[in-house]
Amino acid sequence: MMATEANVNINAEIGEKDGVKAKLRRLCRQNPLAVISAFVIVAVIILAACAPFLTPYREAQQDLLARLQKPSSAHIFGTDELGRDVFTRILYGARVSLVIGIIPPAISLVIGIVLGLAAGFFGGKVDYVIMRLADIMLSFPSLLLTMVLMYTMGRYANSIVCIFAALALAGWASVARVVRSQTLSLKEADYVEAARSIGVGKWKIMFRHILPNCIPSLIVLYTLNVPSCILSESTLSFLGIGVQPPAASWGLMVNQSKQFLFSMPWLALAPSVAIMIIVLAFNFLGDGLRDVLDPYLQTR
Amino acid sequence: MKRVLKRLLSMIPVLLGVMLLIFIMLRIIPGDPVSILLGEHYSQDTIDRLTKAMNLDKPLMQQFFSYVLGVLHGDLGVSYIMKRPVTDIILQAFPHTVKLAVMAALFAWVIGLLTGIVAAVTQNRPPDRIFMTLSLAGVSVPIFMVALALQYFLAFKVKLFPLTSDGSLKSMILPAIALGWNSAGSIARMTRSSLIEVMQSDYIDTARAKGLRRGAVIFGHALKNAMLPVITMMALQLSSMMSGAVITESVFSIPGIGRLATDAVQNRDMPLLQGTILFTTVIVILGNLLADFLYAVLDPRIRREA
Amino acid sequence: MKIRSLLTTIMVSVLTAAAAVSVPADEGKVLKLAWSKDIQTMDVHRTTDNYAVPLSIFDRLLEVERKEDGSSELVNSIAKEYTVSEDGLTYSFTLRDDVYFSDGTQLTAEDVEATFTRMFALKDSVQTDFTTCIKGAQDLLDGKADKLAGLTVKDATHFDITLEEPFAGFLSVLATPTCCIMSKKNLEEAGDDFGMVPEKTIGSGPYMVKEWKTNDSLTLVRNPHSWKEPGNTPDEVVYKVYPEAASMNMAFQNGDIDILDCDFIDSSIVQSVYQTQYADKMVAVNRLGTYYITMNTQVKPMDDVRVRKALQMAINRQGILDAVFGGNGVLVDGIYPAGSIGYTEDNQGWLKYDPEGAKKLLAEAGYENGFELELAADSSASANRAAILQVFEQNLQEIGVKAHIENYDESGWLAKRKSGEMSSFTSPWTLDYNDPSNIIDTFFGSAESTKGRSINYEDTDVMARVAAARAITDEKERMAEYAALEKKIVEEDAAWIPLFSLQHQYVLSDRIEHFVPHWAGYSDFNVYGVTMK
Repeated sequence: MMATEANVNINAEIGEKDGVKAKLRRLCRQNPLAVISAFVIVAVIILAACAPFLTPYREAQQDLLARLQKPSSAHIFGTDELGRDVFTRILYGARVSLVIGIIPPAISLVIGIVLGLAAGFFGGKVDYVIMRLADIMLSFPSLLLTMVLMYTMGRYANSIVCIFAALALAGWASVARVVRSQTLSLKEADYVEAARSIGVGKWKIMFRHILPNCIPSLIVLYTLNVPSCILSESTLSFLGIGVQPPAASWGLMVNQSKQFLFSMPWLALAPSVAIMIIVLAFNFLGDGLRDVLDPYLQTR
Repeated sequence: MKRVLKRLLSMIPVLLGVMLLIFIMLRIIPGDPVSILLGEHYSQDTIDRLTKAMNLDKPLMQQFFSYVLGVLHGDLGVSYIMKRPVTDIILQAFPHTVKLAVMAALFAWVIGLLTGIVAAVTQNRPPDRIFMTLSLAGVSVPIFMVALALQYFLAFKVKLFPLTSDGSLKSMILPAIALGWNSAGSIARMTRSSLIEVMQSDYIDTARAKGLRRGAVIFGHALKNAMLPVITMMALQLSSMMSGAVITESVFSIPGIGRLATDAVQNRDMPLLQGTILFTTVIVILGNLLADFLYAVLDPRIRREA
Repeated sequence: MKIRSLLTTIMVSVLTAAAAVSVPADEGKVLKLAWSKDIQTMDVHRTTDNYAVPLSIFDRLLEVERKEDGSSELVNSIAKEYTVSEDGLTYSFTLRDDVYFSDGTQLTAEDVEATFTRMFALKDSVQTDFTTCIKGAQDLLDGKADKLAGLTVKDATHFDITLEEPFAGFLSVLATPTCCIMSKKNLEEAGDDFGMVPEKTIGSGPYMVKEWKTNDSLTLVRNPHSWKEPGNTPDEVVYKVYPEAASMNMAFQNGDIDILDCDFIDSSIVQSVYQTQYADKMVAVNRLGTYYITMNTQVKPMDDVRVRKALQMAINRQGILDAVFGGNGVLVDGIYPAGSIGYTEDNQGWLKYDPEGAKKLLAEAGYENGFELELAADSSASANRAAILQVFEQNLQEIGVKAHIENYDESGWLAKRKSGEMSSFTSPWTLDYNDPSNIIDTFFGSAESTKGRSINYEDTDVMARVAAARAITDEKERMAEYAALEKKIVEEDAAWIPLFSLQHQYVLSDRIEHFVPHWAGYSDFNVYGVTMK
């Protein structure tokens, strides 16, 4: 542990010397896959945003006379069991899947940063309570936690908001742990000591001086949490407790079409491949960012 | 040893917290086991009578304390829906989960370590690139897709394996691969990066300078040190697999812990849910402990400190 | 948690995993069946839907038998004969004298008495709804008595059952799983293990339970003491749990299942795979059940009968039937399922799909701009039910009603429905016994039951008539009253939207010689009715 914590300090210093441009250049040179992935992600976001202009159909528009059709020029990925255009639903589903991938990790990031900083900086009882809370969250089976949360909140909010909250609540603990351990090592750093001696307030030290040094690890952690949230949503939907019809998400589409795996494989393949592509892209990007930003997390 | 003891003690508040958490959540969750039991049949008299018979009319705090008291005596209560002692139900399901978890872990370890080592040795050359892309694909595929695809191609199209579990070892192979798939990917990546890091360190240079062969250096020195974080990860993975794998269990019809727990949530079967969650939490905590312990035993620095 | 037993389990399971060898099943007529989830109990008094095992391991006084022409009739089973008194209150039964439980003891009138007494005396009994008409049942339920006043044992094979008031459907009730006859001796000895432990769950039916592995499988073998001839019925029956429909589907095509209940499989698969490739292997029966959509009168503006009529006209029922269920069913316009007792052609054909007419009615009621409406979905229900709501949602949007689907999990959904506040939902009702009272009482029999289904039907006079209809002894008069009530409730008051009665389909393997699907609403059947090659 000691050795790796020392690494962080060195890295933090190197990080300051190394400009953003230089890092990007390194990223392109070392890891072209990460760059391609970034483009894929941007492309998917654009496609999702422009969905209404890319397809003549509406998301939930049914055509009971054109059910379960094979791919054709009118429906390039065919139609589902209620005659809805699968391509359209993939485009709109991308919105849901992306939002579920992007927002919950952001919420857990915020919670995790605040609690992790507090635990690391104040230590003592605060640290003990926060870390035990994190332990509880981490040892509680996360799928069950999500299920119970979704059922509990089901009557107050729609399913997507429930998934946000559930995934965010399940995810903050690991962020808090990383932030705490970095805070612990930075707390004793010379410049923090210096700030403290001239009477800079505690919160200011935490957010002005300690937090910025955690940012590289957090960016990486965030990028890697995105695909895991997308996968969690698809798992929840597979169990029938995720996004609920008639809304579309990729996980839900796989769930609804898994029975047609033999007879109409394109129905299940289209959303499955979509999930794989976006998750792979985020993983490649996260990997690439980790290599240039944060060797500390390399072995996580 | 002090670390281990400290960790053991810190289990107590975590367990209490988990129990309280389930209790609070089940208190605000809408729905009750009586309506599930009655399903389409409805009559207020029957509902009232059952609620009373199942002690659900008692104040909630009283229900909770009598439950905690029972747990302290080793009694996890009786399932509302299955009408049997929760301990029996869990102990009946657990062997299936253990069998699945052990086989999945073995698969993940063997495949993960092998590809990880090969990738590290051939760093930045084609085998490395191929294996690392594959392992990233391994962690990027939803587990149910792996499960359904394995089942469809290897059990249905080519009849190499039984479609669903019949308890035999052979029928557990596909589920084990499905469950171990993602873990194999992360072990491979971890092994590679850890091994590369070690191989760049000074003492490896020294060993090579002394004229030891590359193979001897890798397997004699580097691997031993590189395994530290990997072994920790393995222990954590095993314990999380032991706490149940709902999807693998559903696709391959394995009567394990994961399905028990999800059924319990859906049925609002409070004793069964609390029982399974307590049980799996203990397993996860024990797994963390084991990981810490292994780390302490294997890492010379920590051993010296202790 | 007992650490030692935990450790032992881990050890044992690792060892068995290492030593596991698949044992070849000994040949014989083994019938392989599939469930999507395990049963919770074999005790019929403690369940309202796990009927498969009780149907096969117990006998009932009477049985409903389905004839080749599709109609069904009540036949004697362990009751050799019976007479009904003039006033319709007392039923006198004579039992067969060759009925033995699987432990070798004889079934007598004492066992019948013990069974009916337990039905009401058991604290967590859920099978009381249809039988509280027996005299003294309520006192037993309330704990005011410890004997069932309405059941008199005359000798080993003769007994009488007396009702509070005449009830024409009573004989049908006796043929339901509710009235499985248990062994007095076994009930006393087994206590709470009854229905849980195979060897402590003894019946006189053609089969007995050999083994039950939770969430995995359940095995039935022949009851050597059964009074029924074995014939070509299966020697052994194995029910296996397949939680994933996709796995179940593959398992059938792989030959691991002999009778596949199409209820478990998405109807599109049934159409695209089974109705084409397995067409000669399919059997179907008109299921005595009906799908409906409710409209809660407590939710504005559905308190206005014109709005409810507009919603009735807005839905494309034939479209749903064709799209979601492959056309395997018939539209119904009333309360009683097609083909059931009480169903009459006179009340059919009046409800037409007419979105324009619906818009006009809405405008008349002052809602030309529509209104918001929540459709409550049970997310654990079948994909077909979700599909019905999705089509309904679109149909409503076409007439300007801003409908949206809100999802609940099963338990939350049931709780909301019970509260009487659910604005609209769809569900099937399948008959427990073939009598109109079963369905009309459930939905429109009292203020309490109509609230419990979130319908909140308002006409108390009509509900009083529904309750009174049960006791009409003249069968013709009773049916006329039920038909009149149906017309009043659905056509005039538009209390719900009737949808359709479906066929219940099964696919058979090559090993099955003969299988006639059960007449009833529930899917479970007595495996004695299956013969194998």
